[in-house]
Amino acid sequence: MGDITEILASALRVTMPVLLTALGAIYAERSGVVNIGLEGMMLTGCFWGAYGALHCGAVNGCLLAILMGMAMAGIHALVTITFRVDQIVSGVAINILAYGLARFFSMALFGMATTSPQVPGLEKISLPILSEVMVLKPLVTELSPLIPVGLLLVPLTYWVLERTVFGLRLQAVGENPLAADTLGVSVIRYRYAGVLLSGAFAGLAGAYLSIEHTRMYVEGMTQGQGFIALAAMIFGNWKPFASLGAAFLFGFAEALSFRVAQNKVIPYQLIKMIPYLLTIAVLAGVVRKAQPPAAGGVPYSREGE
Amino acid sequence: MDRKLKIRLLRLTAPVGAVLFAVLLSSVFLIAIDKNPLTVYLTMLAFGLGRMDSIAAILFNATPLIFSGLAVAISFKAGMFNIGVEGQYFIGAVCAAWVGFAMPGLPAVVHIPLTLLAAMTGGMLWALVPVYLKVKRGVHEVISTIMLNYVAYSLVHYLIADLFMDHNQKIPEGLGSALIRTPKFLESAMMPTIHAFMALWGVELPGYIYVNWFLMLALVVAAGVGYLLNRTPLGYELRAVGHNPLSAEAAGIRTETVYIKTFLLSGAIAGLTGLSHLLVFYEYMDLDFPKNFGFNGIAVALIGGNHPMGIVLAALLFGFLSRGAEGVQTILGVPMDAVVIMQGIIILSVVVVAGILGRYLRRLEKKEAP
Repeated sequence: MGDITEILASALRVTMPVLLTALGAIYAERSGVVNIGLEGMMLTGCFWGAYGALHCGAVNGCLLAILMGMAMAGIHALVTITFRVDQIVSGVAINILAYGLARFFSMALFGMATTSPQVPGLEKISLPILSEVMVLKPLVTELSPLIPVGLLLVPLTYWVLERTVFGLRLQAVGENPLAADTLGVSVIRYRYAGVLLSGAFAGLAGAYLSIEHTRMYVEGMTQGQGFIALAAMIFGNWKPFASLGAAFLFGFAEALSFRVAQNKVIPYQLIKMIPYLLTIAVLAGVVRKAQPPAAGGVPYSREGE
Repeated sequence: MDRKLKIRLLRLTAPVGAVLFAVLLSSVFLIAIDKNPLTVYLTMLAFGLGRMDSIAAILFNATPLIFSGLAVAISFKAGMFNIGVEGQYFIGAVCAAWVGFAMPGLPAVVHIPLTLLAAMTGGMLWALVPVYLKVKRGVHEVISTIMLNYVAYSLVHYLIADLFMDHNQKIPEGLGSALIRTPKFLESAMMPTIHAFMALWGVELPGYIYVNWFLMLALVVAAGVGYLLNRTPLGYELRAVGHNPLSAEAAGIRTETVYIKTFLLSGAIAGLTGLSHLLVFYEYMDLDFPKNFGFNGIAVALIGGNHPMGIVLAALLFGFLSRGAEGVQTILGVPMDAVVIMQGIIILSVVVVAGILGRYLRRLEKKEAP
């Protein structure tokens, strides 16, 4: 039993950055902007999170990471929404840019291109009452506070999208921008909001990685998790709760792969493929039909070009 | 006249303007770390263009990017986005590596073409999956190729660390365990450098820069792609589909077949990307095999305007940037990564300028119509 909760707890830790980024991706995608620059925004969050934590404490590190993630997202928004450049192209450029910026500033601010010094983390929390139950102990004690925050953001995102004016308009803009525009909803403004939110979430996810997970910034530490988050969001059909399920499934596979790697039964590289293969399977309709936003990926302009 | 000339002039100057703008913007970062941008750029130019070994290094750097840029551009021309070049060249490289170490006794004239064939086949196979899914199941190729890139990384990692791992290697003195790598390639599989050939023309290339015949192959492929796109029926169909798949279909072109052919061609060229490093510079394939040629190929294709000639120039530009960066790092202590930033900004400004210009030109043309 203890073993299982142990694996679940480690799965939860691995899930967090993917979940946060996937939640952010939902906002961008639902507003009609594809964001494959998430990987870069996450990396930006990792770096500035570590930098902020080192100089002003972990909490401020998280805030700085969110801001910097949003700054990168701002570039993506400017390029794709205002200048109406292809969203994939911009995303690719953002990833290259973020990688260069992180190394450059690491060199300039830490004196090393690849790592930062150790940084302080957030104060660990333990959930009351539940911590008394022996079996659950690894799951509910000594937690990063960002874990409950991340989990709470799931229903919050659902609520925002489905129950608030903002969320419903955001979705309208992603489904049928022309109709939304005719009704006086600013497509530009809502898409900016969606993209900036995705940057904020990705930045926080990056901060989680550097401040909470490894306690330092390491070059390339996102290791494709931004893309896994994209996969989780697709697997979760662009919906928050389902994305949580997908992210957790991927996290569980990852956590399991650590164990399996020790036993050498299945090569862990093969387990690492699972999220990607599952996503392809979902998109191919093997599992079920994917339902992306109707206007996703299409730049909007009133003249219709 | 003038409208046509004006359009042509604008098309040519716009990318140059965008690059200059990017250079200007990058200066901000140099100023931020207290370096004089002008000194940095001048050093870059002097170091990057003023020495024979730099020229050779630029050519060596550019070689893989010409392949990956062309691979991306072909898919662009047909209206698709092959982000999977990254994965395709990894698979191509590992196939070529296998042929390179596992087939002793072949003369070089057979062995080298065989490695090329293996690489192209590998790249094609890896490209077949997404295009099949696109045509048969309606899966957008962007997402599937992104996913397949990561599958390819893991697969290649597995192959190097497990199936192809060299268990007979001599373990170097003082090193506890065997290196994770394939067996060494056979001499007959290694592509020669062009040093001897250039010496015939009186050009002495420095021996420590590995510019090789893959460069020539890349140029031939570039010319071939140009010919294919503009002078053959397939090229015409490909561009028609890229322009407007519905009207192409209505005109009797089988878009699905065109998609498949295009992607396979793209994958085959992508497969060659890593070879100029793998089969010349490296003696075996290990986990240090360079990444990101595929992603940089996207940038090269965009900056080169998806035109073969433009791609060669853009690849040379990238080759120059990274060589120049080595120079300013050693001479001025400016982190090389300033250049990666510059590359990112160049891509963004080039695509933004191209987008704005495209709309402007369309408006200009509309005005012209009666």
